[in-house]
Amino acid sequence: MSKPILKVEKLTKRYPNGVLALQNVSFSVMPGEFLVIIGLSGSGKSTLLKSLNHLVEPTSGQILFGDKDITRSSTKDARETRQQMAMIFQQFNLIPRHTVLQNALTGRLGKTGTLKSIFGRFSKKDISDAYSFLELVGIRDKANIRADQLSGGQQQRVAIARALMQNPSVLLADEPVASLDPATCHVVMDYLKKVNRELGITVICNLHFLSLVRQYADRVIALKQGQIVFEGSPDQISAEWFRRIYGEDAREVEVE
Amino acid sequence: MNKHHIQRYVFDAFNFSIIFAILFYGIFTHSSESLPDLKKSLLVLSGGLVLGTFLSYWGNKKGRRTLGETLFSSAEDTAVATDHSLLRSLWGFQLIVSFLVLLVAAGRQTEFSLIELLNKDGIASAANLFHELASPDWGLLPVAIVKVIETIFIAFLATVFALPVAFILSFFAAKNIMRGPTAFGVYGVLRTSLNVVRSVEPIIWAIIFAVWVGVGPFAGMLALMIQSIASLTKQYSEIIEGVSEGPIEGIVSTGANPIQTVWFGVVPQVILPFISFTIYRWDINVRMATIIGFAGGGGIGTILYQYSMRSQWNQVGCLIVVIAFVVWVLDILSAYIREALK
Ligand SMILES: Nc1ncnc2c1ncn2[C@@H]1O[C@H](COP(=O)(O)OP(=O)(O)OP(=O)(O)O)[C@@H](O)[C@H]1O
Ligand SMILES: [Mg+2]
Repeated sequence: MSKPILKVEKLTKRYPNGVLALQNVSFSVMPGEFLVIIGLSGSGKSTLLKSLNHLVEPTSGQILFGDKDITRSSTKDARETRQQMAMIFQQFNLIPRHTVLQNALTGRLGKTGTLKSIFGRFSKKDISDAYSFLELVGIRDKANIRADQLSGGQQQRVAIARALMQNPSVLLADEPVASLDPATCHVVMDYLKKVNRELGITVICNLHFLSLVRQYADRVIALKQGQIVFEGSPDQISAEWFRRIYGEDAREVEVE
Repeated sequence: MNKHHIQRYVFDAFNFSIIFAILFYGIFTHSSESLPDLKKSLLVLSGGLVLGTFLSYWGNKKGRRTLGETLFSSAEDTAVATDHSLLRSLWGFQLIVSFLVLLVAAGRQTEFSLIELLNKDGIASAANLFHELASPDWGLLPVAIVKVIETIFIAFLATVFALPVAFILSFFAAKNIMRGPTAFGVYGVLRTSLNVVRSVEPIIWAIIFAVWVGVGPFAGMLALMIQSIASLTKQYSEIIEGVSEGPIEGIVSTGANPIQTVWFGVVPQVILPFISFTIYRWDINVRMATIIGFAGGGGIGTILYQYSMRSQWNQVGCLIVVIAFVVWVLDILSAYIREALK
């Protein structure tokens, strides 16, 4: 058995306002895995992902990335970590007024000098890579269109291309399909799966719909009030587990 | 004693003390030249304060609401409505007396005089002035045009120089960028100094720079530049404070450094409103440049001042027409550009 790419030990996060968003969360992620995190709104899913790439500073605990302890990093090391763990968001978080190509290129900011990037002088290789990643997510023909003129699903694919530009080993996806319609939802999830299978990038993805979880996840972690209450394969989530995770009155909805 | 009682006493006390002081001086001093004896004034004022507090206490105790009580009492207290008419209630009486006393005092201070206003000779000379203004001396037109162009360029240069400075400063004056204790300190100092600069009228800056670099367009430009830096920085930074977090988070997540984050996450969101505010500032600066000319800032304002001091109203008329035309055109132009940028 190979070594985990990420090992999280007793991770705890208390926000300055006193909210305890994560309590003693421990788990490991294997290279190439498609891990899905589920849980009610407010259970701490976003906090968990953002702690991994230092968008949120954990209060205590430990995060091992490969062999490296990245729990307490200097700002420079944190930037290095972020480059290797790309992230996509529910609201896509693109630059609305920039073109699709320019947005994809921002994935290389970490490897581009400040002045060069300000004057938009990305290398030839950066540009050809950007085109090929846009091709991979099927949106190359939109390269010169402004990002805010695309549909939600298309924007999320641009965000995936931007993430891939970072040549990451891990892709964090924070509810990537929560603001998309069911059909588009599958398109985006299929691209994530493709990235996972074809490029061997480890994916950690927060999701809401169990039907999606069954379809895409290799393994599932369920959070409830900042604690892990379930860990296992998707088909182990019985009706009983479902009620335990989502509460007694919850009913499962399907995404076709 | 709750909060509204304190507010009531303070208000009533000051109200009475001001009425008292005005009446005292209105009655006992006749020449407006004689300077008030500070010690005596203080005595009168504090006497008024004591009397006011007492009246406030006594009036409200007797169930006659004072003005302070009416202003500051909360909804529940007001529920016990008084059925006195405005004139018969204490607070109505207090309101009317305060207003009349202030009106009379203000009239005295501004030397308001119907006799002067309706003076026959005065009306005649004003009519003459308007008559001359209405028949502008077009011979001055070439000079006026040269000078108004000078004014436009003073405003233009002031805006252009202010722009990059304000652009950079604005990020340091934006709360959402300046996080952390050190950064917040810089933010506080910058905001405070900008407010100080902004509170000094550009005409004062013009006087300062006229002394510094000599009377002329350069002094005017510097004065407007200082004013523009302060105003634009404030406006820019408020735009920055309103940007959405999403794109910033997106850029940070790529591993970008802080400068790249600002450039890619913030700047694209603010650039159009920045341009719009800058054009508007140029528009304002043209109008201000005219006024600044009065204080030795060069441009059309300076000759306007000279001609009006010499009572050459035909020439002044010509200048006013030119100024009005330029301001009108720029106003339309800048509104048009700003609309197109939306
Ligand atoms: N910046 C913050 N400051 C203070 N409290 C926060 C902050 N961000 C999140 N929280 C709180 O932490 C808890 C976990 O939030 P988190 O966003 O991680 O949940 P989530 O599972 O991602 O929920 P959702 O499905 O709504 O996105 C919530 O109670 C939330 O209110
Ligand atoms: Mg969330």
